[in-house]
Amino acid sequence: MTAVIETHGLGKRYRKLWALADCALSIPAGHVVGLVGPNGAGKTTLINLATGMLAPTTGTIEVLGGRPASGPAQLARVGYLAQDAPVYAGLSVGDHLRLGAHLNPAWDAEMARHRIDQLDLDPGQKAGKLSGGQRAQLALTLALGKRPELLILDEPVASLDPLARREFLQDLMETVAEQQVSVVLSSHLISDLERVCDYVIVLVDSRVRLAGSVDELLATHHLLSGPRRDQDTLPVGMQVISASHTDRQSTLLVRTSGPVLEPAWTVSEVGLEDLALAYMKQATGRGRRNRHLEVQK
Amino acid sequence: MTWLTWRQFRAQAITAVAALVAFAILLAVTGPHIASLYATSGITRCHGNTCAGLATQFLEDLTSGRGFPLLPDGANAYVILYFLSVLVILVAPAIIGVFWGAPLIARELETGTCRLVWNQSITRARWLAVKLTLIGVVAMAVTEALSLLQGWWAAPIGKAVGLGGSASIMSEGRFGSFVFPTHGITPLGYAAFGFALGVTAGLLIRRAIPAMAVTLAIFAAVQVATPLWIRPHLIPLNRTIATAEAAQANFWPTGGSTIAATASRVAGQPGAWITSSGAVNAAGQPVTAPVACESALPHVLSGGSPEWDNCLASHGIRVVVSYQPVSHYWPLQLAETGLFLALALALAGLCFWRLGRRLS
Repeated sequence: MTAVIETHGLGKRYRKLWALADCALSIPAGHVVGLVGPNGAGKTTLINLATGMLAPTTGTIEVLGGRPASGPAQLARVGYLAQDAPVYAGLSVGDHLRLGAHLNPAWDAEMARHRIDQLDLDPGQKAGKLSGGQRAQLALTLALGKRPELLILDEPVASLDPLARREFLQDLMETVAEQQVSVVLSSHLISDLERVCDYVIVLVDSRVRLAGSVDELLATHHLLSGPRRDQDTLPVGMQVISASHTDRQSTLLVRTSGPVLEPAWTVSEVGLEDLALAYMKQATGRGRRNRHLEVQK
Repeated sequence: MTWLTWRQFRAQAITAVAALVAFAILLAVTGPHIASLYATSGITRCHGNTCAGLATQFLEDLTSGRGFPLLPDGANAYVILYFLSVLVILVAPAIIGVFWGAPLIARELETGTCRLVWNQSITRARWLAVKLTLIGVVAMAVTEALSLLQGWWAAPIGKAVGLGGSASIMSEGRFGSFVFPTHGITPLGYAAFGFALGVTAGLLIRRAIPAMAVTLAIFAAVQVATPLWIRPHLIPLNRTIATAEAAQANFWPTGGSTIAATASRVAGQPGAWITSSGAVNAAGQPVTAPVACESALPHVLSGGSPEWDNCLASHGIRVVVSYQPVSHYWPLQLAETGLFLALALALAGLCFWRLGRRLS
């Protein structure tokens, strides 16, 4: 099965700053992939590379087996909802649907019309007068209407209030289940993604720190607490992601493929949010210096 | 894509058509009056020497505003109309470049809608091709329509000037700096160039307002440079050496003992466009003022001195005139239009290349 996104040594440099470096990913099809990381971690750059809005400085990227934006057929297979959900302020909601119908051979007019009805949007209303949530929904309708195999959403809920956020994600999940489309969505808030993702990629400081299916990640990460001990004395194959110590106790987040056998430890499960945060913290501890790069072009 | 282009361009297109209609009405109301004045001026039956006088009389009647249909006598309405109508054609390509060209891509980049439209099932190249073609054709059609309307309206004025008439600003022949680029086929070239210039500036600068300013500045510079340095050399100039009398030339002392000359006609070439002239000896070499003529030297600011002119002529000093004959009018029109169409195509090519390479 072809990966929805496959990259090798992918990098993008703006003048002297690397917005994304050494990115090697192979995302299998059929997932809802959460791309998380702090602002400026390179999420938007990765998405721009995947949609062909940017050309890579180094390495390669293939989306659904093809070069991004390499032609009408490739464009038709990828739906993209850009950050801040841009729409034409001067065109009406109905005009946007006509735009979708004119520019996409596989346009699903019935589905698009149905969605607009359900969202209670007036087709005659100018898109510039829509609320943030409505605009995001309209842009999502356009992205879905072309019947893509892969849907890429860049911070789709960042500008929405909590209620609109929840509604948007819920609606997205229902549609994704109906249409059987793979999804990649980015957010700097993992709590947004926790509910919807079954695959997660953590990007920090232009680098991929963690990538894998949520089930596998949760199965291989454990929170250990027990009497204070030196990290170096841990069993082979156990990788410490984060550690905190009090006078007498140590709490460690470890990654290991095998079971934790030592009776001295209390082993507890770790949530996705804590897991991702631990990776972010670990990475930012190392390389705080090039964190100021937020690329939204 | 045609639909989207039209939908986004609709408002501008309606504005352009409205402006065109207003222009047409203004000229249609006043044009017949000019034609009837011309018909009754006696120019049509003139012979030889009387023509210039009758033509000037006709132009003076026009410029004095006598009998203008809408305004009181003496309002100089035709002068204003003539000036404005030429100006409209002259600035139309700049307006097109500024308001249609510059925002075309820049606005999409600014508002982020490029990320919406470039991710439909259509390549950026196709998107740009349709936009450039459709709007470019409209730009050229509107400008040329303005030019044809004004050409019809001002035809009697052009004929009168061609016969040697002159009054107020109605004194430019077909090669004039204002007349040449607003008539014939040159408006097509300027419209295409102005539009492509705006689009390119918008793509490179990525902001609509600065791109508009840059477009205007570059276009204005090109419009000034063209008649001065480009147009005269689009086709090799003809040269002739004539006596000052034949060329109706005056001599001017210019620092030291060199002489400048200004010729105002070329014998046997009525209507020719004189681009430069100078003082030479019979062999065609540049000359300095003979010492013998110094006593007749005119004061620098006093204008020509007939004694000096005569003295120079008696010393065998002639005038060399570089000019484009009337027969070069259409070749020059073709060359200038071709030049600007080629520039427009080159700019369009730059846009395609840039859009494909530096994406987003």
